[in-house]
Amino acid sequence: MVSPSELRRAVVIEDDPDIRGLLVRVLTKQGFEVTYAAAGLVGVEEVRRSQPDLVTLDLNLPDLDGLEVCKLLREFSDAFIVMLTARADELDKLTGLDNGADEYISKPFSPRELQSRINALFRRRPSAAADSAARSELERATEVQQSLLPKEDIRVEGYDVAGVFRPSRSVGGDFYDWYQTPEGLHLTFADAMGKGMGAALIAATVRAVMRSTGHRPDLDGAFASASKAIATDLDSSNSFVTLFHARLDAASGNVSYVDAGHGLALHVQSGGTAYRLPSGGPPVGAWAGTQWPQSGLELAPGDSLVVVSDGVLDVFDSVEDFTAAVQQATQGNGSAQAASSAIMALAPAETAEDDVTVVVVRRLPQEVAA
Amino acid sequence: MEFSYEVKDSYAEVKADGRLNMVSAPKLREFVTDVIAGGSNRIVVNLENTAFMDSSGLGALIGCLKAARQAGGDLRIAAVQPQVKMVLQLTSMDKVLTAYASAAEAFSND
Repeated sequence: MVSPSELRRAVVIEDDPDIRGLLVRVLTKQGFEVTYAAAGLVGVEEVRRSQPDLVTLDLNLPDLDGLEVCKLLREFSDAFIVMLTARADELDKLTGLDNGADEYISKPFSPRELQSRINALFRRRPSAAADSAARSELERATEVQQSLLPKEDIRVEGYDVAGVFRPSRSVGGDFYDWYQTPEGLHLTFADAMGKGMGAALIAATVRAVMRSTGHRPDLDGAFASASKAIATDLDSSNSFVTLFHARLDAASGNVSYVDAGHGLALHVQSGGTAYRLPSGGPPVGAWAGTQWPQSGLELAPGDSLVVVSDGVLDVFDSVEDFTAAVQQATQGNGSAQAASSAIMALAPAETAEDDVTVVVVRRLPQEVAA
Repeated sequence: MEFSYEVKDSYAEVKADGRLNMVSAPKLREFVTDVIAGGSNRIVVNLENTAFMDSSGLGALIGCLKAARQAGGDLRIAAVQPQVKMVLQLTSMDKVLTAYASAAEAFSND
């Protein structure tokens, strides 16, 4: 039995059944677990599903050009890509371009040549074992990220509060955090630049620092000191974090907040209007010497404060479309939990490349609250 | 993503064609750093054919801007497309990264 760390996977994308059969045989002999597809789009889906170490890709496919398929694959896969072409005269031109492929082989090819080129690839760059180490780092990053989320629901009298989070496979830097205060609640919503363990660790720092300044009565001062600490930490990593931090005074419905480069918080009024709260300055760590102004809004009974991550925005053409869809999902659902889930569903899991995070703070309508 | 550059009279124009994401962002940073190291510190990044930028891409632009300023020059962006413009506005980075309609206009007033 082969242990998972030794198992190498390959996907063959080739429309000619004879060549496909040959490739599958050669690769299987070389120890790969091989799956295949006869066209470009189904090939991309197969690569997404099986996460192979190697892809062989025919340049002439019935639906898409092989170069297009290669580009699509490079959006999400680091597998070795070997391009096969019958256009021998194009080989020089192809190899000179940065198409995202690792190797080019012209047809007809000998099985031995294919084998030796593939062996050379795996010698040149990280092996399947290193790859699986990278995969397990992603798993650890996911654990870090999950550990940052609030463990318990929050209960603030007169309010309905919920949050949802769906990590992307590559682990983005999203998280949200909340805790109860004598006045109401504090909410932090952040997205660290980049992906993987780096982003998860920055998120962990941000959460800890924001919590450590929560006791300070003035939001301005608390945020200034927190952002300074975070920026110092970020400076060495050339990174930044978008950060939305809010404090709710439950009795009055007053929300004071600071938005550092997030720009995707909405005040959805029960009457039917939604206002997007513009960010007050660049993300923390992006630009030295930045100061962020404190702003405020009043949640009337029935109003909601909705904070959404850019993973949802990505599926819309404009901020206006995004705002309209979030408003509709918020008003069309009875509870904060249902509204959060409906907003998350705006970014379908199959296509979302980034984390998706949504928090809804709804002030209950008076008749329910009374 | 493909990069190219051309040295003009008073600036160097860098073209970044494709999607500026986590994969291509470090390459843009390297490319621009090389251009600066080659003696140009006034850089225009032409984003005419950059249809998409994520947070890593934004990070690369910020890094390039810092590098250009560090070298006594500046970095400006031109021909910004809708999605990229949206990211710059949401993050308020449009106040730091100045956008011009075309590469030729970016340094035309100084």
